[in-house]
Amino acid sequence: MDRELLIEIGCEEIPAGWLPDLTAQLGRHLEGRLKEFRLTIDAPSETYSTPRRLTARVAKLAERQTDLEELVTGPPVAAAFNAGGEPTPAAAGFARKHGVEVGALERHETPKGTYLAHRVRQRGKATVDVLADVMAGVLRDLTFPKQMRWDAHLEDGRGELVFARPIRWLVLMYGGRVVPFVIRRSEMAEGPNVQDVRSGSQTYGHRFFTTSGRAGRAIKIKTFDDYRARLLENFVILERSERESKIRRELETHARRLGGRVSGLVAAHSSLLQEVPDLVEYPSVVAGYFGVEYLQLPEEVLTTTMIHHQHFFPVVDEEGKLKPAFLAVVNMQPEKPEIISRNAERVLAARLRDARFFWDEDRRTPLEARIDRLATILFHKKLGTYREKADRVAALAAWIARDAFGREEAAAQAERAGRLCKADLATDMVRELTELQGTMGGIYAREEGQPEAVWKAIYFHYLPIGVEPDAPPLRPQLGSAAVTWAAVSLADKLDSVAGMFAAGERPTGSRDPLGLRRQAQGIVKILADLPELTGLDIRVQLGTLLARAGEPFGGAGTADGGEPRKTMLSFMADRVSYLLEQRGYDVRSVRAVLHGGIEEVSPLDARLKLEALAQMSGSQALLGVAALLKRVKNITKGVTSSPGEWAALQLRLVDPAERTLWSRIDERAPGIRDAAARGDYREAFASIEALQPAVATFFDDVLVMAGDLALRQARLALVAALRDLILNIADLSEIATEN
Amino acid sequence: MTFQDLILKLSAFWASHGCLLQQPLDIEVGAGTSHPETLFRVLGPKPWSVAYVQPSRRPDDGRFGQNPNRLFKHHQYQVILKPSPDEVQRIYLESLEACGINPRQHDIRFEEDNWESPTLGAWGIGWQVLLDGLEITQFTYFQQVGGIDLAPISCEITYGLERIAMFLQRVDNVFDLEWGGGVKYGEVRLREEIEQSKYAFGQVDMPAGAFAALHRELFEKYYGFAERLLASGLVLPALEHCLKCSHLFNVLDSSGSIGVTERTAYILRVRQLAVGIARTYLDSSPDGTGSTAASGAADATRGGA
Repeated sequence: MDRELLIEIGCEEIPAGWLPDLTAQLGRHLEGRLKEFRLTIDAPSETYSTPRRLTARVAKLAERQTDLEELVTGPPVAAAFNAGGEPTPAAAGFARKHGVEVGALERHETPKGTYLAHRVRQRGKATVDVLADVMAGVLRDLTFPKQMRWDAHLEDGRGELVFARPIRWLVLMYGGRVVPFVIRRSEMAEGPNVQDVRSGSQTYGHRFFTTSGRAGRAIKIKTFDDYRARLLENFVILERSERESKIRRELETHARRLGGRVSGLVAAHSSLLQEVPDLVEYPSVVAGYFGVEYLQLPEEVLTTTMIHHQHFFPVVDEEGKLKPAFLAVVNMQPEKPEIISRNAERVLAARLRDARFFWDEDRRTPLEARIDRLATILFHKKLGTYREKADRVAALAAWIARDAFGREEAAAQAERAGRLCKADLATDMVRELTELQGTMGGIYAREEGQPEAVWKAIYFHYLPIGVEPDAPPLRPQLGSAAVTWAAVSLADKLDSVAGMFAAGERPTGSRDPLGLRRQAQGIVKILADLPELTGLDIRVQLGTLLARAGEPFGGAGTADGGEPRKTMLSFMADRVSYLLEQRGYDVRSVRAVLHGGIEEVSPLDARLKLEALAQMSGSQALLGVAALLKRVKNITKGVTSSPGEWAALQLRLVDPAERTLWSRIDERAPGIRDAAARGDYREAFASIEALQPAVATFFDDVLVMAGDLALRQARLALVAALRDLILNIADLSEIATEN
Repeated sequence: MTFQDLILKLSAFWASHGCLLQQPLDIEVGAGTSHPETLFRVLGPKPWSVAYVQPSRRPDDGRFGQNPNRLFKHHQYQVILKPSPDEVQRIYLESLEACGINPRQHDIRFEEDNWESPTLGAWGIGWQVLLDGLEITQFTYFQQVGGIDLAPISCEITYGLERIAMFLQRVDNVFDLEWGGGVKYGEVRLREEIEQSKYAFGQVDMPAGAFAALHRELFEKYYGFAERLLASGLVLPALEHCLKCSHLFNVLDSSGSIGVTERTAYILRVRQLAVGIARTYLDSSPDGTGSTAASGAADATRGGA
């Protein structure tokens, strides 16, 4: 009979940001281990978490392991019996090893011949007898962004057990009964105050709230349903989604009572709404106010202080203007919410008072005068200070505006914005509210009277963060700063990427402390969406930009950059593919448009090609060309086409099919090249598609590898020309369907 | 509850939970962690529980007595529990109740906040404890100190005394706190804050270059002497001189006297010294208990009598 499995790992507060992943891991690893131990479940596991617990339930888990049946093969039959039909020592030995007579062995047919074999049958053990091993496995499987040692180990021969935070209790129940399991504590720590953690049938609710009995006491449970109900009586809402909807509901109610709504900035610029349900076990919302005089501070300062530093939700009125009020999520059902509100107000007021002080002080010194202070702030030990970075970014931004974008008139302002964009690192406000880097510099530049093209370029220069087409900033937000912004934002990121690779820093696996992936994606995103973001219809190649950005480092970006340069280029290629795949393009199509060196790739060009390919995705003719291109590539390996001899080639061809192909290519090629040059890939692919019948007939009628050497060479030259015409745009063979 | 009552309450509470009551380290430090009662006692296997106030100097936080929340010198109440008891969170919450904070009326939360001290080669995992959104305690399970992996793991509880007192007394300016017997915090400390801030930011009647040069020189002298002390096996005096270096570095930093590359180099040097001191401390007490000076202590008592 199937019974219920219930696991609860009771912990001290696990970091909120880890819970979603840990919950998913728990389910995955539990199912993995159950499978490994041949325990069948008839529905997926359910997993839950609160800051103080990771919970898993399997509603129906088999009572026994499935029996193991395995066929062990022995010697081949040919070597198992001698001429007289008697078993050879090999056969006898194999039988003896398994404790059976030779006659009892099976014959097992394989492609390599017939072998003697023994069928092993092992009866499954009772589930309760293997669950401890499952539990140990699951505890070992869980991984954390940062693990801690807490004087604990398991008796599974693998020693110390690290975890997210100390485990304080463990529920491990099968069919309503406790399955014995123990987490041992080290000899050095063990004593009256440090004890082994033994599995039991007791959980713990909220530390200070309960509907009956003493708060914080151990609560005996029987089944999952009982467990969930008892937790709720003790002010723990097990379901994250229920906590989240309670938060949303109460936020709305309170905001309405204050005559407003929760600021959209919360969702747009932070993960606060995703984070709070994982910070609390029993959420409620309280409201508070701050002095209207603080509304004179920039909105960004107010919202950052509230959202990032206090986890408070700002409230706005109908027009989206901040109200002098906030909402806070607390982990309790407050009897006197006003006590908490007053305290929260005082904490916020203290922070805002500091912020106002910084705001007043910082504006006394112009950004220009702060640049020298940047010499005291390190960018990277091998790449110097932010003072040096500011100089590089200024020069690079000017070059991008002038040379890469062809906008001479924007160069001076791009240079100025580039020079000033890091100056806010030397302001008190940014030292205190680091999230406002760039934003604050932009605001101070605006206050100083810098033109929009300069202050907005600074304000937005850390963006974009996301790779979606509508990731901020958008054109309307940028106003007249679109071109200078793109130049400065690109310059800052290119400098970081080229510099870091030259300095030998590179992201590996899950480690990217310098955020280079995001910066590289920012570069790709700006270039891919350049027309929408800036109105510039320019297909800028990555190689050009990276080479110029790498010059000051004499390394990674430049042509003789050696190994760091190769690493950087392959890293950039991955970022380009990532962005394009994130936008929903098929992996094979992405490979098709990125073939060849990444340096020649223009992200915008790649995007346009993919859009055109996507529009033609149903075309059988194009797929036909793709399939034939694959053949062409194979037979023309090492053959180079010589455009100079194209006209003469016609005279060397004899078969009607090949002469037709020559004519079709001759007709179409100029149009294809012209369309590609204009970026009209829809037309280019349509023309390539139109070649399909001629190509197909050619391969049906003509034998390329003709016996006659001259004819063979002519035919190879013909298909090589076709190959290069297509490869110049995309390696369509990547999208060819198999067979 | 006055500022001094708060200290008395916490002391009585932790004494009743088996802590020795120690006294502050009598030299300049940035935090209670630098005190040998923490830095050395968490090394090795010997159980140790101790509590003490530690005046903590942060030159960079000096605000000339004008900021209601920030101080050149604030007071930490430091508790070390080795090994860390299973019930440590509950005991900590009881300590808040002992100070008059009713947990049923407030939102008390443990939010992730790990701690690291590059100059001490130390780091730990833990939380900041928030009381209605106010950070009142840093709660850390030490993992490494002086570059040495710890076993057993110690728990460090660091209360911000001014913050908690302001909360309890409902005052918005630290200088308005009642220290004790009707005397205000400002009466006790304001002048010190003003003068120490001026010093920390180099507002001294001497050229900035000379100010920096003097402190660099002092740093070098203390550093060199700390190495000599260490080579002589005198780890406690060596630690004190290492901490002097650490404080001088903080003054140089807050007065804007050092560049970036230099800054990193300073941090690295202090760390090297601290790591060497921690290792020597552990090695010089083969059982790892750090109790080699038992006979010396007896002598000192006689000498003082």
